[in-house]
Amino acid sequence: MDFVLSQLAGFGGAFAALVLDPLTYVYLIISVFLGITFGALPGLTATLAVTILTGFFGNKIPLDYSLIALLGAYVGAIYGGSYPSILLNIPGTAASAATAMDGFPLAKAGRGGEALGLTTTASFIGTLIGTIALLVFVWVLLLLSQNIASPEKALLALFGILLSGTLMSEDLVIKGWIAGLIGLAMAMVGLDPLLSEPRYTFGWSYMLSGFQVVPVLMGAFAIPQIIEGMRHMKVGQVAALKGRILPNARTIRKHLPTITRSGVIGTGVGALPGVGEDVAGWVSYGVGKSVSKEGEKFGKGSLEGLLCSETANNACIGGALIPLLVLGIPGSPPAAALMGAFKINNIIPGPTIDPEIILRVVAIMVLASFTMFIMGLFTARIFIKILQIPQVVFLPIVMVLTTIGSFSVGGGINDLYLMLGVGFVAYFLNMLKFPIAPLVIGVILGGLFDETLRRSLLISGGDIMVFASRPVAGVLLLLNLALIASQFPIMKRWFGRLRRRNA
Amino acid sequence: MNNDELATLRARDFWGALVLIAVSAFFLVRTFDIPLWGGNRAGVSSASWYNSAAIVPLGIFSAMLILSFVLLLIAIRAGGARDAMTAAGIGWNSDEAIRFSTIGVILFFFIAGLVPRVDFIACSGLLITALTFGYHQGHARRMVISATVVSLCGLYALIAHLPQSQWAAHDDDVVTLLGWAALTFVMLRAAKSDRVLKICPVIAVIAPIILVCAMAFGFRQNVPNRGSLIFSKIEYHYYVSLRPLWRS
Repeated sequence: MDFVLSQLAGFGGAFAALVLDPLTYVYLIISVFLGITFGALPGLTATLAVTILTGFFGNKIPLDYSLIALLGAYVGAIYGGSYPSILLNIPGTAASAATAMDGFPLAKAGRGGEALGLTTTASFIGTLIGTIALLVFVWVLLLLSQNIASPEKALLALFGILLSGTLMSEDLVIKGWIAGLIGLAMAMVGLDPLLSEPRYTFGWSYMLSGFQVVPVLMGAFAIPQIIEGMRHMKVGQVAALKGRILPNARTIRKHLPTITRSGVIGTGVGALPGVGEDVAGWVSYGVGKSVSKEGEKFGKGSLEGLLCSETANNACIGGALIPLLVLGIPGSPPAAALMGAFKINNIIPGPTIDPEIILRVVAIMVLASFTMFIMGLFTARIFIKILQIPQVVFLPIVMVLTTIGSFSVGGGINDLYLMLGVGFVAYFLNMLKFPIAPLVIGVILGGLFDETLRRSLLISGGDIMVFASRPVAGVLLLLNLALIASQFPIMKRWFGRLRRRNA
Repeated sequence: MNNDELATLRARDFWGALVLIAVSAFFLVRTFDIPLWGGNRAGVSSASWYNSAAIVPLGIFSAMLILSFVLLLIAIRAGGARDAMTAAGIGWNSDEAIRFSTIGVILFFFIAGLVPRVDFIACSGLLITALTFGYHQGHARRMVISATVVSLCGLYALIAHLPQSQWAAHDDDVVTLLGWAALTFVMLRAAKSDRVLKICPVIAVIAPIILVCAMAFGFRQNVPNRGSLIFSKIEYHYYVSLRPLWRS
């Protein structure tokens, strides 16, 4: 009980400090607005929103304001993706792909206003569920993580990369793993963290400090979007918005069990290292379809279907911040961009993080979700107008934004060359259906993996049993091996037989 | 994914796997430059294999090599090798090739030639104009015109002022401004009733000015080419004419 009260008191203090500061509102309103705009414009993603704002706000303003800007944009962008999903049948972000299944049929049936209102409410409640889970579980896990040493950290980093590669692959799983390995390989460039041995620098002094995170993020997420989006595309016909947007309290009460269930699923999926909001949306949609009484209506304009995906993708944000803050392992691609912001502010998320920062993150999340809720309900028509802007108008501005953002973080032209190089590689990888999220997570976790793996071996005198003899490490090793083994053809056939027998 | 798309993807995977094998093998060889056994760096002995800075990269590139061979095998089994040399197999499309290569040229000359040497407002304005004019309606001729103008300006900046010591010169700023003005003229002539092309010059002027000023005076950060033709004037008037108004 004392623990809960002390947490609530800490949260209350952080919340009050934010609420009483007028600058909070300036950053909050601007960032949530920008986030919703990024989410609403098909072709721009939540990860890109956080990445670009990292370039602008990452290390140029006090950390508190920088966190407000980045978290506000994150929350806004995940929610904003629902606009084109509902009104254009084009997901604004990957996270909203499942939303289009029911959102657009609802809009076509003249219930677009109702769908938007409910989506806004569900996203708000979902974000709060994720935030509450963040407040509670982060402390429990922080206590447990005190027992996590180098072997566990190395295995967790590997697990995050493997899991992200497995779940984010659109085509073959090994493509996700290769993408993760490319990211890890990129993290090996520069002076090694234990002996300061130069690796793959090719005599170029810029490479001694390794690849900077922000240019890599900008290159990996912005350049492929720009290259892909610069084509002639007719702006889709926006479905007419009929009906009031303000949601009906009775309808919300009726769907509260669905919203709660989806919020819990979204938080759980978000807490898995490296798995993003899109997976959360689809998992929740799938579960909803199988447990709902109106499962057969899913995909034909079901309010429940809409709420399943929209609640889960926003709840995923809080979940994704749990492994980021506790272990320093991002729970989703936008969280990876957020980790980049922590890094350029010299803050190392993990067991040693300042508890004050966690309380501030929770308070910011609550404020950001309120701002998103109010903006969603009362300024929806502005965002609907934004939907009609063609990609060829805003993508060139995004290119200018990424260039100046990337330049100003590192302060050098070399960062721009790196950004462009990574961008072209990421474009070709995209074309070959290699997922980019594991690559970025590999770049971010590469240093941690290298350092902790070698430190474990150093301490144990080269005994590789150090990765199996400790209980938590043993479990993590088994999880890693199981994840790899599950992709062997023999195991797939065995699982297939098992599933058929159970069916 | 339908069968044709899958066949195209596997043909591309075949080439992709070959590139990955070559890259992994190259870096694997380079990894052996890092002492693995018995090295001594800065007085620190790395006599044991587990001390070596090469151990993790060795694992990464070995795993990449193995997975690349697996990908190659999957691609060959799915007919990727058979289709690899056919245009249909690799999904070659001349329109897409023109689109991609012109964007590649524009981005390359923007980053490598213009940003380090030319006024950021001028080169960003040129970029916005080139991308909007070139790709708004999907005409191949417009893409080529846009890429030509950007590459001419970029080439001039690269050739005339290659070393960093010459980046402050202003003649490349003038050339870029002329290129931008010419492209804007061509665009407005082609615009007729197209609202996007008509509004583009306004966006191309306003967006870079706002961004550069926000970064330089709002966040007080470094911006590319501070001493350039336009930005140096803005900076001068900000500190000399404007700032004293509220500072006093």
